[in-house]
Amino acid sequence: MARHFELELDHLRTLLIRMGSLVEEQIDLGVRAIIESNESLANIVMERDKKVDEFDNEIDKQCMRIFALTQPVAVDLRLLMAALKINNELERIGDIAVNLAERVGPLTPYADYVKKTSISLMATGARGMVKDAIDSFVNNDPKLAKKVLESDDHIDNLDREIFNLMVAHMKESPKQVEPASHVMILSRHIERLADHATNIAEDVIFLVNAKIIKHHADESAAF
Amino acid sequence: MQETLIEEPRTQIQKPTVRPMTEQLSAKMIARNVNAFFGKLQALYDINMDIHSNRVLAIIGPSGCGKSTFLRCLNRMHEVAGGLMTGSVTLDGRDIYETDAVLIRKRIGMVFQKPNPFPTMSIYDNVAVGLRLNGIASKKEIPEIVERSLKQAALWDEVKDKLDKSGVSLSGGQQQRLCIARTLAVHPEVILMDEPASALDPIATAKIEELIYELKKDYTIVIVTHNMQQAARVSDTTSFFYLGKLIETGETKTIFTSPSKKQTEDYITGRFG
Repeated sequence: MARHFELELDHLRTLLIRMGSLVEEQIDLGVRAIIESNESLANIVMERDKKVDEFDNEIDKQCMRIFALTQPVAVDLRLLMAALKINNELERIGDIAVNLAERVGPLTPYADYVKKTSISLMATGARGMVKDAIDSFVNNDPKLAKKVLESDDHIDNLDREIFNLMVAHMKESPKQVEPASHVMILSRHIERLADHATNIAEDVIFLVNAKIIKHHADESAAF
Repeated sequence: MQETLIEEPRTQIQKPTVRPMTEQLSAKMIARNVNAFFGKLQALYDINMDIHSNRVLAIIGPSGCGKSTFLRCLNRMHEVAGGLMTGSVTLDGRDIYETDAVLIRKRIGMVFQKPNPFPTMSIYDNVAVGLRLNGIASKKEIPEIVERSLKQAALWDEVKDKLDKSGVSLSGGQQQRLCIARTLAVHPEVILMDEPASALDPIATAKIEELIYELKKDYTIVIVTHNMQQAARVSDTTSFFYLGKLIETGETKTIFTSPSKKQTEDYITGRFG
């Protein structure tokens, strides 16, 4: 049955998909900017963050409009709840892309140092998680969402490894304190990326299966 | 208003099913294998339902699904409308169809869609009439019961200075609360409500809903409503009827967030048909 309400929900989905694809691109550029020490890419990321923020506001407004005018229930209610939360996660992912871009300038003198670490490997993994999380939402795919959840441990391990290595470098030589600190911060940003992707995946499972799995709720029924 | 009926005559009439006492203890009323007919037209098919004490059960479903018919089966009003019912309905473990109908309707009160105060009676008499007819209370007790019932119906403050005025002089919302007070006066155990707020404005509706919430502390309530949001707001349990069948019963919070049946989800999200 074609309904006005369906059009409103479709518009919301479209906004989220467009924001997801923009954020994915931002992460892609942010990571490339770090790895290639490319300041012009970094500038593009910082400039385009305004667009991410615009989507954030627009999605919030669309959710509020649907809540107020249609009082959604069941799967529609879960979509609205998930949309609000995913929107928040995407906006934070966009901010991390900016954080990465902002670090390009200070890191340029240490480009070779960064290349010797696992930052590139970690960034590729986290970027993949963000992409899969967004795809799982677009395709209503809880299996893919679960794969995202499983990938998070790998990123956490890399973060820990990098931290330990950087501490060791700092202990070895005071000259390494500055680049090692930058790498530690980068690593933490990338680890947060993976966390946001995980949150999106949890929201997708909530949306499709009506199960709350966050905070180790262990797939309890949502209500 | 008579609901649309489903044209599938039954050939066999089912015998009432007796359930073990352990199950009956958990519920105020139990309906088992309830089939309802208007002549050859069957309106309900094998409905099984437990109605728990001090809870609000909302029955939802599209027009003609049998929800009002089921409500009327719960206090033998279906037979007054010329219908036939098979199966069993018990109240505290006793089959209501083996008990005096008048006595049953005293214990299971009913509030209708349209407020129906007796037009020639005062506000006071509208509440007292059930007590007098049934000889429930002595003359001395009646004023006290009238006041208590009007207070329970959240109407006392609005009418205490004009109890001798006609019941129909009140607003629609007040009339409906007057009818609820009339129902409460005979001290029923279960209150059946058939679209009690559908003719009321949002403020009067909110008062009725607040009243339902208050009343469930002392009564067991079953409400039939077309208003899904109302069902979600006032009830603890929701049952969805479709084409004379009970499709799903569950905790209201579950039904309105993650119902287990697709038909239920399609109906409550407006995707039906």
